[in-house]
Amino acid sequence: MSNKRQSMMPPAPKPPTSLSSSIVIAEHASLTGTKLIMIGSNTVIHPRAKLNSAYAPITIGSTCIISERSQIGILKEPEDEEEAEPVVIENGVVVEVGAIVEARRVGEGSVIEVNARIGKGAVLGKHCKIGPLCEVAEGEVLPDFTVIFGNGMRRIDNSGVEDLKMKMVARQVEVLRKLIPSNIAKFQ
Amino acid sequence: MTSFTPYTYFQCPCTESSLPTHRLSDSSPPAENESSDDERTFDPRAPRANYSLYPLEHLFYCEDCHQIRCPRCVLDEIVTWYCPNCLFEVPSSTVKAEGNRCTRSCFQCPICIAPLSVSSVEAPPSGLGAEIATQSGPFVLNCGYCSWSSKEIGIQFEKPNGIFGQLAKVKNGGGPILTAKERRKDREDRKRDFSGSSVSEIREETPEIDVPREPLDPNEKLDAESQFSNLRAFYQSQLADASPVSALGFTGDYGYGSPGALSRIMGLYTGSTAFDKKAKSKSGAMREARDALEGLQITPSSDEEALVKLHAEGWHTTSSCSQRAEFPNSQAQFIDDLRPVAYLLRTKRSKRCKTCRHILSKPESKVQTTRFRIRLVALNYIPSISLKPLSPPTSSSSSSSLLQPMRPVQFLLTFKNPLFDSVKVTLATPTKTPGRFASKVTVLCPQFEVGANTDAWEEALRENGSRSSTSEKRRTKADFLEGQHQAEAGKVWERGRNWVSVVVEVVPASLSFQGPEFLKTEERRQGEGDKEVREDEDVLEIPVFVRVEWEADSAHDEAGGLGASKEKEGKEKRELAYWCVLGVGRIARD
Ligand SMILES: [Zn+2]
Ligand SMILES: [Zn+2]
Ligand SMILES: [Zn+2]
Ligand SMILES: [Zn+2]
Repeated sequence: MSNKRQSMMPPAPKPPTSLSSSIVIAEHASLTGTKLIMIGSNTVIHPRAKLNSAYAPITIGSTCIISERSQIGILKEPEDEEEAEPVVIENGVVVEVGAIVEARRVGEGSVIEVNARIGKGAVLGKHCKIGPLCEVAEGEVLPDFTVIFGNGMRRIDNSGVEDLKMKMVARQVEVLRKLIPSNIAKFQ
Repeated sequence: MTSFTPYTYFQCPCTESSLPTHRLSDSSPPAENESSDDERTFDPRAPRANYSLYPLEHLFYCEDCHQIRCPRCVLDEIVTWYCPNCLFEVPSSTVKAEGNRCTRSCFQCPICIAPLSVSSVEAPPSGLGAEIATQSGPFVLNCGYCSWSSKEIGIQFEKPNGIFGQLAKVKNGGGPILTAKERRKDREDRKRDFSGSSVSEIREETPEIDVPREPLDPNEKLDAESQFSNLRAFYQSQLADASPVSALGFTGDYGYGSPGALSRIMGLYTGSTAFDKKAKSKSGAMREARDALEGLQITPSSDEEALVKLHAEGWHTTSSCSQRAEFPNSQAQFIDDLRPVAYLLRTKRSKRCKTCRHILSKPESKVQTTRFRIRLVALNYIPSISLKPLSPPTSSSSSSSLLQPMRPVQFLLTFKNPLFDSVKVTLATPTKTPGRFASKVTVLCPQFEVGANTDAWEEALRENGSRSSTSEKRRTKADFLEGQHQAEAGKVWERGRNWVSVVVEVVPASLSFQGPEFLKTEERRQGEGDKEVREDEDVLEIPVFVRVEWEADSAHDEAGGLGASKEKEGKEKRELAYWCVLGVGRIARD
């Protein structure tokens, strides 16, 4: 109830932020909430990505890509005030279009595919991949290299190409830097 | 309740001859058909009906037999084989020689069936001239969906192309796979060594094969291919021993598939009664394979190993049934036994009429084109039937999508004529639908004519010439009828250039078993013990017998049709009759 009313109110108050000067953040990205949002170096925030720190602070590492219409942050007011755990996204994470991330921690080099959902309090290990439309339940803990795909099928990725993938994310960030006009000043 | 879409299925007449006349011929109500020559009622619920009912889009029409043809009464012929992934055409000789899989670089993920792509293990070159620089190997196949990689099963490739050939030479784990030829040579060498020289000598003698050679072990574990090749070699030698003359000439690789050789192999088991007596006296009985060299594997010797592995690594390292099904010849129990699956080839097929062998459908042979050279689909010959409620259901009541028992409903049946000649349509329905719950059906106008499917521009020209064209008249008449909103018996509801709508009135049956006695069919009385409405028994299906008559130009079969019944010059009477089933809706349960 209350959060609805808040979001209706124009103009939304700017959340406190700590942004690295090397990030790329589109003008039409939306940063809302009241708690601290921290974004590390070389991270790209696409237009219409939503970061909401109303109930918990958000920390995003360096060289991450947060795509359009993805939602980062706790979406619903927790029943117990104390419970809202901060959302931490480590380095080199790619959050694809329309994904919802409420996780406590998303490990380094993970990929969250299109329209996937990561429940509140979940912990993803390093280099996980959550397939399109897949879900991770609230509070679930996934070991490193977990791949979730298809109809909730799981496997551990042993291919050992995580370094290569991290490099590819870094290259993608370089390309996006040329494509997306950044406007940090709007969010500081 | 789920929504229900009305449907129309057509029965292919090819099943008619084999259809037993009907289930309860003595007790069912006689079908009061307008056309008295057909007395049988088609029961869409009969188990056999499932196999003869098709949507119109699935049917062909043979111009020579003047008959509907369904997938069951056409013959398929393969025009081209092609890979669905790279769209390359594969010559049938290659298919015969190398099997029906793509032999280029097209593979599916063994875990999730997504297509695999080839990529370098090394980072792509960057900096100046990165675009023109070629990637350096080694290369792996990897899945973009579940991120499986051939690296996980220890397979890497030197070149990014011709993966099929490269993969055929590597075992999971990276060891080489011997070709059939190499295997034979290897086996012969081993045999020779086995009979004479010691292990150390083998290595010196055959340096040209760089495979590390283990000492011969009669209990050696063999993979499927080498077991097959060992077995084959063993039986070939046995057969050769059995008849040294080799009159049938089955010393070749495939020779033992000949009937003579087969009877010999059968002779192994049947005490050789059917066996050539001479050969028997010469060589005595054949024996079975004795050890691994001869292709005998006592048990799947990996069982204990598998148990240990299962204990150590757990359930998630085992492969699923569907994953295993891709490798029918090997016991791919674990994920790391799986291999990339080469794409199965697809075919383009032409179809022939089974009766007269004329081609009904022939696609363009080029893989990339979707055009057809010949396509005699029923849609172009038979009036299509569509069904909709006469008065659109009011959305206010939630149960409006269900038919209310014992309450008459009117449906509009629209016939659309695809032919360039006008057709005369005659409909016949049983007054009560077959089955335990008999609904009453009345076609208000069972006989009518549907206009020709003339070209639209032709129509326009005609209308230009004379404003008061016949079709216009009809339309105004239809409008008039619509204004009245009342269906009249014996009259067409609405009519257009090449279509006609008629009204069908249905009184849905009650699904309760306490219904009035006069509505109960014999079948229902008999089935009284079974007081459950069976699956889909609440769906109201109406069998309709459709007879279409028209006069067609017979110009095209002038040559053969000398004795044909020609009425006017170049005109020929045609008639087509078939059963249809109209799925009207679900009846509400009370
Ligand atoms: Zn048929
Ligand atoms: Zn291919
Ligand atoms: Zn896969
Ligand atoms: Zn035919």
